[in-house]
Amino acid sequence: MAIEKEKKTCGQVMTEWKEFVWNPRTHEFMGRTGSSWALILLFYLVFYGFLTAMFTLTMWVMLQTMDAHLPKYQDRLSIPGMMIRPKTDALDITYNITNTETWDSYVKMLNNFLEPYNDSIQLANNDNCTPGRYNEQPDNNGVLNYPKRACRFNRTLLKECSGLNDTTFGYREGRPCILIKMNRVINFFPGANHTINVTCAAKKEEDVLKLGDMAMYPDNGNIDLMYFPYYGKKVHVNYTQPIVAVKFLNLTRDTDHNVECRINAANIVTADDDRDKFAGRVSFKIRIDKE
Amino acid sequence: LFQKRADIYSVEIHGSKDLEKVDKGDEKENYKDLKGNRKKSKKQDDLRKELDLDDHKLSNEELEEKYSTSITKGLTSAKAAEILARDGPNALTPPKSTPEIIKFLKQMVGGFSLLLWAGALLCWIAFGIQFAQGVPSARDNLYLGIVLALVVILTGIFAYYQEAKSTNIMASFSKMIPQQALVLRNAEKKEISAEELVVGDIVEVKGGDRIPADIRIIFSQGCKVDNSSLTGESEPQSRSCEFTHDNPLETKNVAFYSTTCLEGTATGIVINTGDNTIIGRIASLASGVGNEKTPIALEIEHFVHIVAGVAISIVVLFFVIAVSMHYAVLDSIIFLIGIIVANVPEGLLATVTVSLSLTAKRMSKKNCLVKNLEAVETLGSTSIICSDKTGTLTQNRMTVAHLWFDNQIFSADTSEDQECQTFDQSSGTWSALSKIVTLCNRAEFRPGQEDTPIMKRIVVGDASETALLKFSEVILNDVMGVRTRNKKVTEIPFNSTNKFQLSIHETDDPNDKRFLLVMKGAPERILERCSTIMINGKEEPLDKERAEAFQTAYMEMGGLGERVLGFCHLYLPEDEFPDTYPFDTDSMNFPTSNLCFVGLLSMIDPPRSTVPDAVSKCRSAGIKVIMVTGDHPITAKAIAKSVGIISATSETVEDIAKRLNIPVEQVNKRDAKAAVVNGMELKDMTLEQLDDILANHSEIVFARTSPQQKLIIVEGCQRQDAVVAVTGDGVNDSPALKKADIGIAMGIAGSDAAKNAADMILLDDNFASIVTGVEEGRLIFDNLKKTIAYTLTKNIAELCPFLIYIIASIPLPIGTITILFIDLGTDIIPSVALAYEKAERDIMNRKPRHKKKDRLVNEQLAVYSYLQIGLLQSLGAFLAYFTVYAEQGFLPYTLLNIRTRWEDHSNNDLEDSYGQEWTMYQRTYLQWNGYTAFFVSITIQQVADLIIRKTRRNSIFQQGLFRNKVIWVGIFSQIAIALILCYGLGSVAALNFTPLRFQYWFVAMPYAILIWVYDEFRKLFIRQYPGSWWDKNMYY
Repeated sequence: MAIEKEKKTCGQVMTEWKEFVWNPRTHEFMGRTGSSWALILLFYLVFYGFLTAMFTLTMWVMLQTMDAHLPKYQDRLSIPGMMIRPKTDALDITYNITNTETWDSYVKMLNNFLEPYNDSIQLANNDNCTPGRYNEQPDNNGVLNYPKRACRFNRTLLKECSGLNDTTFGYREGRPCILIKMNRVINFFPGANHTINVTCAAKKEEDVLKLGDMAMYPDNGNIDLMYFPYYGKKVHVNYTQPIVAVKFLNLTRDTDHNVECRINAANIVTADDDRDKFAGRVSFKIRIDKE
Repeated sequence: LFQKRADIYSVEIHGSKDLEKVDKGDEKENYKDLKGNRKKSKKQDDLRKELDLDDHKLSNEELEEKYSTSITKGLTSAKAAEILARDGPNALTPPKSTPEIIKFLKQMVGGFSLLLWAGALLCWIAFGIQFAQGVPSARDNLYLGIVLALVVILTGIFAYYQEAKSTNIMASFSKMIPQQALVLRNAEKKEISAEELVVGDIVEVKGGDRIPADIRIIFSQGCKVDNSSLTGESEPQSRSCEFTHDNPLETKNVAFYSTTCLEGTATGIVINTGDNTIIGRIASLASGVGNEKTPIALEIEHFVHIVAGVAISIVVLFFVIAVSMHYAVLDSIIFLIGIIVANVPEGLLATVTVSLSLTAKRMSKKNCLVKNLEAVETLGSTSIICSDKTGTLTQNRMTVAHLWFDNQIFSADTSEDQECQTFDQSSGTWSALSKIVTLCNRAEFRPGQEDTPIMKRIVVGDASETALLKFSEVILNDVMGVRTRNKKVTEIPFNSTNKFQLSIHETDDPNDKRFLLVMKGAPERILERCSTIMINGKEEPLDKERAEAFQTAYMEMGGLGERVLGFCHLYLPEDEFPDTYPFDTDSMNFPTSNLCFVGLLSMIDPPRSTVPDAVSKCRSAGIKVIMVTGDHPITAKAIAKSVGIISATSETVEDIAKRLNIPVEQVNKRDAKAAVVNGMELKDMTLEQLDDILANHSEIVFARTSPQQKLIIVEGCQRQDAVVAVTGDGVNDSPALKKADIGIAMGIAGSDAAKNAADMILLDDNFASIVTGVEEGRLIFDNLKKTIAYTLTKNIAELCPFLIYIIASIPLPIGTITILFIDLGTDIIPSVALAYEKAERDIMNRKPRHKKKDRLVNEQLAVYSYLQIGLLQSLGAFLAYFTVYAEQGFLPYTLLNIRTRWEDHSNNDLEDSYGQEWTMYQRTYLQWNGYTAFFVSITIQQVADLIIRKTRRNSIFQQGLFRNKVIWVGIFSQIAIALILCYGLGSVAALNFTPLRFQYWFVAMPYAILIWVYDEFRKLFIRQYPGSWWDKNMYY
């Protein structure tokens, strides 16, 4: 204990610190002279320049190995996800009939979403394909079949839920439409040549009655095989994703309804994966408040 | 100075005159500051002062008056009770100790703990917020917080356990204290508990008792005490009631608390009790001197400061960035957690401890038992060793070193395992001398040791006689046989008045009926009794010239610090002393003068044979070896010279004065490399004078020092910024051992108190073992540097993901849990493996590191690890990350700014670069895949990092890639753990690992190779251009 640590006063610390920042005797700034700083900065300039070049080069090489049209692996997307429109936080569609503002945004969202499905646009861009079978457009022996044609999905197919006759998609009279779509996956053939459709039901069986009747558009909630396979953003330019609309005809008011819609297709297993709640199915909440 | 100088020393001892006394008033001014700084240690200062006692000078009457007691009646019970109430019990007060819980809590907030606690707290806050928001993954943060807290607590417990092992010194002192005392009170003798003794009590002690307090002897009958517990010298000392020396420690009429009365009886007045006794002072000193932080603890603290500084600045910087980029509070908190976890090397402190204990284990195999782990490194940075002489430097047994006969000095072999003596034994004088040595000796071997080497046999007899017995046994091989053949007729044992020993024998020549009288003793006394001297086997008259030759030889041998004995004999004429002559030792009816002088023999406790080499190794390693001994200056100097503590060419001030024949005062002190300082001189020295000696002489011997002085010397060395190692064995050494940066106790000769106060124990009591310790200590310092460099590197690779995540809003490249798996999983064994690395160069040929300049973690190390290798690693890992995402459909440009959409739980149709849509879970799984790829890449590059860290200067190929097998164990463990995490635990969602495609293990490989190649170039330039800009900036 003979040499106890000399406690430095605040002033000493400040002077030491000041001297570290700028030492007038040695002309050192932060412990280095000007030329020393210049040298070290030059070194790091060169070093980091080299690193940047190296990283750019390796990234470039990596990107060269990428296919422009098809990702190397699709194993994560073996079960396509499903989604609804209108899309809200936590997929919760709650509104009050008399309060227009509460559902106005939903209607707007649906209108925007359906814009590309307008019959005129579909007619202009897309082909009329043969229903009931896959619209395969393979490349011929290395000659790119490019761009690939997309099949028409006319907005009118959604009938009551097309927003054409009823511009509020049924929200005004408390019989709202929800659009259901299946995620795009390149080169995926859902249903394995069998018809596929979407069905919706209350999550719990006891709530079925409260949920009331539903109407599906197109009929049965069918999705035609001709919209598959998807060939990717770049080649399948005007690809129109098939959708299914569900219209709740008789919802009990002032109650939370948990609805689950799922795709029924031979090669889409929806039950086994508990961790992904959106694999081949979609759950959402709907509630209509009367006043 | 030495009124009581042993008679066998006849060479002038140069006193304290040579040191100028500077005006003392001035000195006090100079040191005022120093003292003012430590008010609280005033009591300590008091203890440091030499004992101020004059009771030994007082007469019995004066004593009775002083202590208001009566020698015949003792104290009255009432009076005793009163004094007991005033002075307290006669026991050693244990020091105040910090409560265990405080010690434990201290460990919980030390080092990185505070940062990690902050991290844990942030985790829980984040959990709270997310839980309230109903985010499904909220629990992850709860668990992460718990894991962080666990890391802190476990590290804390680990550190606490390490520290708790240091034992209580006081316990060993308490063992030395007697339980009972025989006391005279109310004119009655009675047995009371020693604790109840008070000043003024009259106590009686007898052989076998321990002295129950410091007592002034007033009556003694053949009383001898063993003061070894105080002084370390175990030769029995007689105690009587005469005042023989000014110094209370040396005078014969004072006996000390806890020393043992070996024989006889004595009565004394208690003059000091409890903590005021000599042993009490030593105990308080030893337990009072604080355990200062070890150099390695300071280095680690420094390192923690650097890392914490970096962490906090980055945290602050990125908090500001996050806020200005309008991130939500929750997001910012999660960034902070990541930055903290990435920045703190969680496993490092444990790694350091393990590395140190591995070294400690290795050292204990080399006879250095390390008690305090951190001391392992302290030894390596030691710049001054204050070594005890007896037992450490010397063999701790008297051995015949020189002989003088036929006008010639012969040297004897003094090594530990002598089998024969090689000096010229053909002369007739030698046979006469050997006969005297053999016969005039009462020491005997204990029976039944015929198979033991001579030097190891146990002997009954005192030290000198033992030496002579062994000496003659080595030469004659049959001492006992010679003694039986030359039957002893009578003898006079050695006593301090005669100063000689004599015996009369029949001769072994059956034709020679004469008796042989042999005598040995103090040389001048022996010479006085001689009239002839034997030269080449013939008796010749002892003229003036011969006597002068004797004087010269005697002076020379004495000057070597040796104990000299003279030998003479006389054949008694047959006619005067027939067979039946009744020899009577009381009347001495036989001649004891006009004998024939045969020769001189000198003995010394010789240095251990390994010591000179060890000392020279210390020298070349830049370590100053100072001898501190209680022995006489001459002996100390002689031993110092023979082991090289004072080298052959250097001189002390006194030597120069003698050579130039000028007074000591005129010698320029700077000319003298060596200095021999006497304890008495030291007593009068100011701190400044002591500093001056320590700084300006490279070879120093302190002789005749007291325990307090040893402490002062240690402190003096520490004032020179030196890291001081102290060796010692006695109780008296314990304060210095404790005070030293590293105290080294002797395992065989050491007392419990010394062992408890020490940080390290030399199991073989051999100074040379210290040198191996130094080597190991230096090696571990270098290797810890490598370990830390290795560990710090990947911190950048862990940190960059968070920074890029915040700035570029890409999906998080690596998770906090994954980081913990690197820090506490894959990296642990490799970091420890670096502790097994061999030294790159001869570490014993460089100077000890400078405590304040050569840091464990210096700027170069941090910059090189963080800004160069760390960055390279990050790039490699990012390449892997981008590859994984790109091959799944998210090309790099798509990832930029994707974060909010990516992390939106309700967004289950996020589009990738190819137009495919991803659900939240699909993305999360991909993100974990990214974590795993990032993790694997860091691991792969850490393998390269591990290999480059093997050396700091040499090429890996010079060092040998396969010499350190443990490194390969490290590499394999690293890869094995990574494999298990990937493929074994990939399905456990909470760990955030996923099985990884095999090719991703190789994505970062080019960077791993680049790291190796770049570092080889770095080392090449360092070797090629020493001292260059590159060397200065790139060598850590």
